[in-house]
Parts: sequence; structure tokens; C-alpha cells
Amino acid sequence: MAALLAVFGLLVNWAAHRALDGGFNESLATAARMIAASVKQERDKIEVEVDDQEMPEFRRTKRPDYFELWTADGAVLKRSVSLGQCDLERIDATPGKPVFHAVTLPDGRAGRAAVLIFAPGVEDEEEKPRESGQPQPPPATPRPVTLIVARGTADLDSSLALLRWLLVGAAGGTIALTLVVAAIVVRQGLRPLDSLAARIAAIRENTLSAVIPVDEMPREIAPIGRRLNDLLKRLDEAFRRERAFAADAAHELRTPLAGLRATLEVALSRPRKTDEYEESFRDSLTIVQRMQSMVDSLLVLARIENDQMTLRREPVRLAEAVESCWRPLADAARDRGIRLTCRVPDDLECLTDREKLAMVLANLLANAAEYADDGGRIDITGREEAGAAGLEISNTGCRLAADEARHAFERFWRGDAARADTGVHCGLGLALVQRMTAFLGGTAAVRIAGGVFTASLSLPAAPRDGASLPASPEPASPAGPAIEPVERRFI
Amino acid sequence: MRVLLVEDYLPLQKAVAKGLREAGYAVDATGDGEEGLWYASGNDYDVIVLDLMLPKMDGLSILKCLRADGRPAHVLILTARDTLADRVKGLDLGADDYLVKPFALEELLARVRALARRAYCVKNPSIEVGDLRIETASQRVWRGKEDVRLTAREYALLEYLAMRRGETVARTDIWEHVYEFNSEADSNVVDVYIGYLRRKLDRQGRPSLIQTVRGRGYSLGAEP
Repeated sequence: MAALLAVFGLLVNWAAHRALDGGFNESLATAARMIAASVKQERDKIEVEVDDQEMPEFRRTKRPDYFELWTADGAVLKRSVSLGQCDLERIDATPGKPVFHAVTLPDGRAGRAAVLIFAPGVEDEEEKPRESGQPQPPPATPRPVTLIVARGTADLDSSLALLRWLLVGAAGGTIALTLVVAAIVVRQGLRPLDSLAARIAAIRENTLSAVIPVDEMPREIAPIGRRLNDLLKRLDEAFRRERAFAADAAHELRTPLAGLRATLEVALSRPRKTDEYEESFRDSLTIVQRMQSMVDSLLVLARIENDQMTLRREPVRLAEAVESCWRPLADAARDRGIRLTCRVPDDLECLTDREKLAMVLANLLANAAEYADDGGRIDITGREEAGAAGLEISNTGCRLAADEARHAFERFWRGDAARADTGVHCGLGLALVQRMTAFLGGTAAVRIAGGVFTASLSLPAAPRDGASLPASPEPASPAGPAIEPVERRFI
Repeated sequence: MRVLLVEDYLPLQKAVAKGLREAGYAVDATGDGEEGLWYASGNDYDVIVLDLMLPKMDGLSILKCLRADGRPAHVLILTARDTLADRVKGLDLGADDYLVKPFALEELLARVRALARRAYCVKNPSIEVGDLRIETASQRVWRGKEDVRLTAREYALLEYLAMRRGETVARTDIWEHVYEFNSEADSNVVDVYIGYLRRKLDRQGRPSLIQTVRGRGYSLGAEP
């Protein structure tokens, strides 16, 4: 904008300059012409009939104008009254139009001179009556006369200077004012951003639910406010889940801790026989084992959440994996009369981390064995789905309601009816199963129908072209950003 | 005193039941909410120690039912839920005390003792009948200056009579409050233990502190 103003100012200056200048010159030229008009040539004589009354400017004592006339051969024809005895500098020019030069006037002022070389008007004698036969006398040849009219340019200069200053002042003032106004406007406009920034700075983990008031914001930054609120909400939920998880974990550990403490305090409360102490130690150890498995599960979950797990993919035969995970549970299950049916195709393979898959399967199978009723059934089926290997493990004897399936994956959740507490299981199993399966690139789901609890897994299938992939460790690719809520599917 | 313990985590249930029994209480224990309510509705317990997170029926629901039925048992809630809101809710629903897991066994015992005193409106933990002094906190008994040694069951019987001193206590009441559910179904047992107590407490030449009220029961009172 400053550039525009500058250009504009220059234009105006130049235009004004030309106009004023032109006007000055025009006026000077007019004076010259007036004087020139009063120069007559009569025969060989040049006469100047300047009416001094009509041209007071050439007579005044203060800053007068000057003029001087010369003949072609340099003789001075006439001087203006103001000149007195001085001479103007005689400047040459082409005859015809006035030519302008900058000169120094006799009194020292700066001025401009118009130089006009012209032929004076010829004044004929009164025509004598012609004698017939006599030719007209030839007209006298005009002899060029040099006229210089000089005038001080102080006024012109000062006018131009004044204009220049006015323009500069105006432009400068406009620019300054614009800058100030712009600065004020921008600062005003930015103030909501400042207050927004201040609000954001004040947000801590425990104040994440503080909502930024979008209604108070100007329209332009309201979208930012809304997005920020969304972000804060997601962060708040994520933090809540983390806090709830930490609280759940501590909470769940309290029960076995209470059991451990009570067992030891009772043992120590009076002198006892050795076998009583032994029993107390054994009970204590069982409790400690439960706590250990709980803590281990929590650590695994935490590692998955924090992307600290590595994944080592290889083709794994599902039938084999299921069989090896079931083996430690088989005896106890048989003792309770639980029948197992396993229908997994021998060639069903999935591409996954063998060890982590074992954790998942062990968890699901142990759950099934634990919660199945005495004399009940556990069915394991596997099949190939589009691009994936599917596995279902179901057990009878489930006393949860069908709509409780959606809680199944919550950490530490145990359905009321399922709380036949042997002291071995904590509710961490299914949460771990779900997170681990997701980590392996698959999905886990749960459904309850007619007293049958079914857990189903879908894992990436191994490529069937027989090419075996090298087992290579790769850094974990998290199953989704940490802030995304854990997906729960239920049928 | 008879205590009902409703706690589903078996190792804890086992340890607390043992601790209470060794302190002389008759303890019925269950890990199932519905069964706990059934026990409480059918028997007169002096104190009920109630966990909240139970299968089949949670502790607070049981509490509500008991209070609605007007059961006077004193309830101590024993739970891992420790927030202010939880405690206030439990107490407001009718619990008499609230203890958070994990806990010190001696604190549990002291609180149960306090609730038992409350059950009989006995304020003084030290009960004096004549020159018989019973310190309920330490479960020690003095006859004059002599420290009298009693078995747990004998002490429980004496304490029960002492809590209801001056009253005639029916044999069935003694049966209900000093013996647990699976006790020997021998009605003679009460008389036998009264006999044991008398043998330990009575002094030569002075009438028994425990009087037989013919046809109605027994009473612990100062010598006339």
C-alpha cells in the first residue's frame, strides 16, 4: 500500500509540476508575445511600442520581471525599466516558438527566461495612391529580433515545494495512520487468540474436561475452538480410561492382598503347629501366584498399549497351537467330566507370532475350562475365511445374560454369575485376549446364547503358495493410535 | 456371639473365618450372595461381615433386603471399594461399620467386638458382675484378683450371658448365639458348657454367679 501511495504521490507531483510549470511558461510566453507584438518594423527601422502601463511587472522594484530586445546583429533595441542599465544574457534559439531556459536574474534570483526570436510585424506606410504603371515598392525584408523575457521562479518553486511536502505529508500520514489502525485492528482481532492461548496453557491433565467456550469466540476462530474441544474430549477420555485402568488394577490387587494379609496375620496370632503353618504358607503362595499372573497380564497389556512389543511372524498351524495350549488343562477338565471336541483342519495356518498366539489361546481355553459346568462341553472349531483363519472356542454352562457380552472385554470385568472364584483367575483375561489379537492383526469377538459362551478369533491367514516366509522380528506396529477407543465387536 | 461372614474370595474367607472362630465367635461363612441372604434371614446373627462384590447378589442389595425386613443384625461392610462415595452410600443404606481391604485382622476383630457390644447396648468393654470382671477386648476374665482361664467356647458363652446380664437367657438363644450352623446337634451341649463355666467360676461357699431359671434358662447376675 505504501508503494501505491508513493507512486500515486509521484504521479500527482509530476502532473502538478507539469501543470504549474506549463502555466508559468505559458504566462511567460504570453508576456513575450505581447511584447513581440509591439515590435514593428517600418522600412529599416524597428520600433518598440511597449505600453509600460500595461506591464507593471517590468517596472516594479521588488522582484520584477525583465525583458530585453536585440536586433539580429546584437544591438539592444530595448530594455525593460527593471533592467536599468544591465543586460540579460543573450541566449540563442531557433526562431519561432519561445524556448525556455533557467537563468539567474540580475538581482541574483533564480529565474526562467523565455527566448523568442521573431520577425517583427512590418508596418506598411499608408498607401499612396498608386500611379498606374508604377510597381509597388518591394516590402521591406524583416530582420529577426531576439526577445528574452525573464521571470523569477521563486513562487513556482515554492508552490511546487509546498505541493511536494503536502503530498509527502499526506502519503506519510496516511501510511502512518494506516499502520496504526492496522496494528490496532490486528491486535484486537488477535486478542481472542491470546485469550484462547491463555486458556489452553491453563489446561492440565486433570482439567481436560474444561470446555473452551466457542460461543464467545469470533466466527473466524470458532472452528479452531471446536476442534480443540473435540481433541480435549478425546484426550480426556483416554486419560480417564488410563486412570480407571490404574485404579482397577490397584483395586483388583487389593482383594488378593487382603487375603494374603489375613492369612499371615491369623497364622501369627497365636502359637501353632507346624502343619498349620505349612497350610498357611501354601495358601499364601497360591494367593501370590494369582497376584503374579495378574501383574504379568497387566504388564503385557501395558506393553501393547505403549508399543513396546515386538512381533515375530511365522506360519503357525492352528490345530497344533490349540492342542499344545489345551494339554495342561486336559486332566482337570476330564476330572470334572468336561468333554472337548476339536474340529480344526490340520492344514489351517495363520501368519502370526507363535508365542503371543499361545497367550491368547491359553487364556481362552483356560476361561472355557474354568467356566464350563461339570459334565459340560467345550467345542473348538476352525475354518478358513476370506484371507483369514477363524477359530471359535465355546463352552456350555455360561450363566451370563446375552447382553452382558459387550462387557466381556472390559478389564477386570467378571460377570456376577461367573464369579465362581477359585482364586486363580482375575478378569484380565479377555481384555488381554482382545488387545493381543488386535496387536497380531486380527479381531476377537464374544457372544452368549442359550447358556453357551463363544469366543471367536480371526487371524491373518498364512499365504497358501507354500513359500515360507523368514521369521523376522519387526518393531511393533500399533493397532491404531493410542487415543482411539478399543473396538468391541459383539454379535 | 454369632457372626455371618459373606465373602467370595476363598482364601480371605478362610482366613477371616478362622480368625473369628479363634476369637470365640460362632461363624457361618459363605461366598454366595443369595446364600448369604438366606442365612441372614433364617438366623439371628449378632454381627454380619459383608463383602460387596458377590456373585448372584451383591452386598448392598442384601443389606437393603435385611433392613427392609427389619433384621436387627449389625452389619460391617468389608470391601475393596474405598471412595468417600462408597463409604457414605454403604453407611446410608443401613450398614453399621465399613472396613476397607486390605485390613489388619486385629482391626476387624475390634470392630466386630464393638458391633457385638452395640448389639446388646453394652457400652463398657469391661463388664463387672460382683467381683467377676470380663475384659471383652482382651477376652480375659478375673474372679477377684484371680485370672480365670477359659476355653474359647466357654468364654463365648460367658460373654453372651454377661452381655445380657440380669436377663434370663433361654437355652435356644444360647444355642443360636454361641454355636454356628453346623454345630453338634446336641441340646445338652449348652448345659454341659454351663457346667464347665460354673466349675471354673464358682467359689467355695458362695452361690453360683450363673443362676438356673427353671423352665426358662440361665441368668448371669451378682449374688443376691
